Amino acid sequence: MRIIKTALPLLVVFLTGTMVMGASSDRYLHIRVSNPGQNEQVRVNVPLAFAEKVIPAITSGELRNGKVHVGHLSANSVNLKVILDALKTAPEGEFVTVQENDSDVRVAKEHGQLIVHVVDKGSKDKENVDVTIPWDVALALSSDTDGDQINVEAAIKALENAGDVTLVSVTSQAETVRIWIDSSSTAEHTSMLKK
Amino acid sequence: MFLLAKVGIGIMGTVVAGGAMLCSEGFMHVKVHEKQADGTNFSIVLPAALVPMTLKFVPNRKLADASAKLRPYMPVVDAAIPALEDCPDGVLVEVTDPGEHVLIAKRGGSIVVDVNDGNDVVHVAVPLRAAHSAIREIAAANDTEAF
Repeated sequence: MRIIKTALPLLVVFLTGTMVMGASSDRYLHIRVSNPGQNEQVRVNVPLAFAEKVIPAITSGELRNGKVHVGHLSANSVNLKVILDALKTAPEGEFVTVQENDSDVRVAKEHGQLIVHVVDKGSKDKENVDVTIPWDVALALSSDTDGDQINVEAAIKALENAGDVTLVSVTSQAETVRIWIDSSSTAEHTSMLKK
Repeated sequence: MFLLAKVGIGIMGTVVAGGAMLCSEGFMHVKVHEKQADGTNFSIVLPAALVPMTLKFVPNRKLADASAKLRPYMPVVDAAIPALEDCPDGVLVEVTDPGEHVLIAKRGGSIVVDVNDGNDVVHVAVPLRAAHSAIREIAAANDTEAF
């Protein structure tokens, strides 16, 4: 009896630990596009582990081996990695603010993230665009590249370790687009109605 | 008498083994419901292993065109389908508009597509492993057909 009393709490701890370790730690990239005016909605839920395995296999256009060729950055003396490394150690604050008649642009570093905020005042729908990139992801984009590439595969791996974050948010009068990362397998969905 | 019993057991064993092999890759389910009054309704459940098996009997010249189109994408298919098999079940894509609702999900080792539009309701469920085998079978269709 004494052995059972001793072993039972240990068994509970062991089982709980096993359940916690076995719990899903899958991360998902969610994309939601809503157009309320036309009653249209698109939802995409992609497991990041899936994207990580598929992206390197895609050879299409500028995307090869998990990297995207983005032009002549090195020819124009732009070293993205050095710039991002410098920004990472820079103190938080606004780096760039541009205000024009048709748009406002703000680039800042806040809470260890690169924030880009764009207000497009010139368009009919007056779009607001917010892009938030965790620094580790931004650095991963420039890792293991030859200067004219961005490393999408590495960025996806870095996203798996990032917390829940909204990466892109676009709002306009016509539609809203949101792209975010979390551990939920679905970002709510309507059930199929069989008529 | 004992000989007959042995033969019977042998036959039964073969049938059971064959059935198990057929069912080893799960089942394909295709269901179509046409909404109009005299519309067609059917539901088919087939062992998924039949598909790659059946493709072996299709003349390669019939598959040559599909094979040529598939082959460039085989690295992606070979990466995507096993990765999808490892993923937890869930909705992958859902599109809703006034005339149509499309749902693509992974459930129990199968890729499931549900389409509900003004005219029809269609449900297709294909086990991923069988889909992979079938796609590989098509892609491998004789590329020396021209010779």
